[in-house]
Amino acid sequence: MTVDIEELRTLLLKCEKPSRYTGGEYGAPVPEERGCRFCLCFPDLYEVGMSNLGIKIVAESISRRGHAADFCFAPYKDFGAGLKERGVPLYSLALKKPLGEFDVLGFSMQFELSYTNLLYMLASAGIPLTRKERAGKSYPLIAIGGPCAVNPEPLADFIDIAFIGDGETVDADVCDLFIKHGGATDAFFRDAIKLDGVYVPALENKVKKATVRDLDAAVFPEKFAVPNCESVHDRAVVEVMRGCYNGCRFCQAGFIYRPVRTRGVQTLTKQACSLIAHSGYEEVSLNSLSTGDYPHLRELIKSLKERLPDGVTLALPSLRADTFDKDFVQDARRVSVTFAPEAGTQRLRDVINKNVTEEEILHAASSAFDIGYSAVKLYFMIGLPTETEEDLRGIARICALIKGCYRAKPRQKPLRISVSCSTFIPKPFTPFQWERQADGDVIKSKRDALLKALNVKGVTVSWNDDFTARLEATLARGDRRLCAVIRYAYENGCAFDGWNKELNKQGWDAAFERAGLTYGEYTRERAEDEKLPWDFIDIGVSKKFLLEERRRAYEGKSTQSCLKGCNGCGLQKSCPAAGGVK
Amino acid sequence: MIAFRYTKTDGAEYLSHLDLLRHVYRTLRRAGIRVEMSGGFHPHPNIFMNNPLGLGIKSVAEYCAVDAVFDGDFKEAFNAHSPHGVKCSGFRVVSANPNYAESIKSCAYTARGISPFDPQEILQRKSIVICDLRGRQTDIRERIYSLACADGEISFTLGCGQKNLRPDLFCAYLQGLYGGAAREIIKVRSIGDGTF
Repeated sequence: MTVDIEELRTLLLKCEKPSRYTGGEYGAPVPEERGCRFCLCFPDLYEVGMSNLGIKIVAESISRRGHAADFCFAPYKDFGAGLKERGVPLYSLALKKPLGEFDVLGFSMQFELSYTNLLYMLASAGIPLTRKERAGKSYPLIAIGGPCAVNPEPLADFIDIAFIGDGETVDADVCDLFIKHGGATDAFFRDAIKLDGVYVPALENKVKKATVRDLDAAVFPEKFAVPNCESVHDRAVVEVMRGCYNGCRFCQAGFIYRPVRTRGVQTLTKQACSLIAHSGYEEVSLNSLSTGDYPHLRELIKSLKERLPDGVTLALPSLRADTFDKDFVQDARRVSVTFAPEAGTQRLRDVINKNVTEEEILHAASSAFDIGYSAVKLYFMIGLPTETEEDLRGIARICALIKGCYRAKPRQKPLRISVSCSTFIPKPFTPFQWERQADGDVIKSKRDALLKALNVKGVTVSWNDDFTARLEATLARGDRRLCAVIRYAYENGCAFDGWNKELNKQGWDAAFERAGLTYGEYTRERAEDEKLPWDFIDIGVSKKFLLEERRRAYEGKSTQSCLKGCNGCGLQKSCPAAGGVK
Repeated sequence: MIAFRYTKTDGAEYLSHLDLLRHVYRTLRRAGIRVEMSGGFHPHPNIFMNNPLGLGIKSVAEYCAVDAVFDGDFKEAFNAHSPHGVKCSGFRVVSANPNYAESIKSCAYTARGISPFDPQEILQRKSIVICDLRGRQTDIRERIYSLACADGEISFTLGCGQKNLRPDLFCAYLQGLYGGAAREIIKVRSIGDGTF
């Protein structure tokens, strides 16, 4: 069965941005119905999901192995309600096939606040939410992947499989097994858990994350589908590097994507040229967690400038202040530059291991001002371990120093500083995974103090919602008991929790109450000898190293970048920077 | 300058005007057709389209002019790189911008699904007041230029530009009077200087 778009015409015309739901993007491959039929599901809107590189890589890898890969994004509430009213199940974009007719649905879980959307998409497709309810009936296998899969327990009741680690090969390997065993049989699951990166909640197996050794040889799409309506990052993207050398102690990505692997200049140039030729985009983004640390950045920029067509600009979205160099600045307009000091004093920056000094920040800001920038955006976190009032005053101090830098020379425009404060959220597999998240009233009083200190002309302050931060922290370090809460929350109408205007605190509060659980049980400090819900996953970085890093944090000692020498995180044998891979 | 006629069908009718503009520009870039940019702080490509088509209405007569020079077969090059449903059906090399947004004064449409009626009944009226999309009472009579009905298909010409009338609104009006459900509303011709 396929869904006829023509029959949804009246619904489409009533909805915001109907081209989200019609498919047929330029450059989108039309999958043949062959092999294992896999639908990559993204639990957020079309324009967010179409910007995601991960699902494109996984789809490419699956289709190269002879399976069918299609996409589906969460319909916004207007379209979702319309489908339900008409009795039309949620369908995939290219084949227009109801999700229930696929063999596997692979959900890309990018952040915790999309958990209810997984249920929303399953329900919209008419698929029972839990594994138990689906057992013995012919429904697709429900899988998850992406960064949130490193703690799959809060979703364990809903899913059949979690893919942990790099998705370049393991998803396709599982598709191969699915065909070999003629479906999701017991033997299929027993074989699947022999693969690195496959966790089957029903079997509660131990699992080691999947790692791609050589990014140059790894699957990468030659062309991207050009979205029908503008996506959030509407540009070509190459991934210069996976992982990060720096080891900031709050940063989950910095630990779960270890060891750092890089792509070569030649590979990246080839990929960028191919994407630009096939898409018509005017911009290539050089993505990684810290592009300034890419060892061949100058060479890469030179090579891209020589080979890309005229007028294509380069975007370097993640430059640390210590690697900021005016030669790397590619944006012709030069309006606003962003730095992330994360903490207001050197002491606290040492605690979190953000190895950026005040001098480096000021130097970077000065060089940005000298080439024409007149706005600075600064990211800070509040509620960090050991934080004091002095650290909060330090944020105001940095703003004042940056102002001083700007005033040091005559400039045409007034300086604008925007300070963005997020609440610290402890995440699994970081040295801060044991930390308590500060309670809402503590955060509020800290923020009030900060706002008072920052009440200066030309400085605007924004912050994220307290409840959202608490919910994210709860889900991030959750266990299986949260499955019930997530289900109740969904039933109470919660979806799109990451969208401020959709946030439904009452729905979540009622869900926790019904399940007899509290947020506090999850945001509390964890004992170091306590069994953590994600302990069964081997992410590569040893727990011993994380504990040692936690101790160093409390001693105010920073740990050097992996580029300066190996710190012995547990991945020495497979880490190119540590010389473990020849 | 190159002026061309193109379609907005097969799903492309759901693209917004701004998205369509981006798609046309990217199509030209993929085809290797260099478009001149406007000057200024925010340069944009010199692409000039006719007035926006209402979302969901198909067309085989959209017009666009681009500030570009191209030696080969423009139609072939465009269609090899354009999205589904956005296809060029004719082009001319012109010396000046035809300014389709101004020059197209009326458009011809066809539609199906409305119960049979006598077009004279409509054309003889002096005034037809409907409620537009913003909830305002508007007299649309002078924006209706022709109306015919044959073999279950109606064809009609409506004003465009300053005296614009959306074909779906007009069909909704007819539907209210005579019954049926309008479908397959298609713009078949744009009428004005510089069209072909």
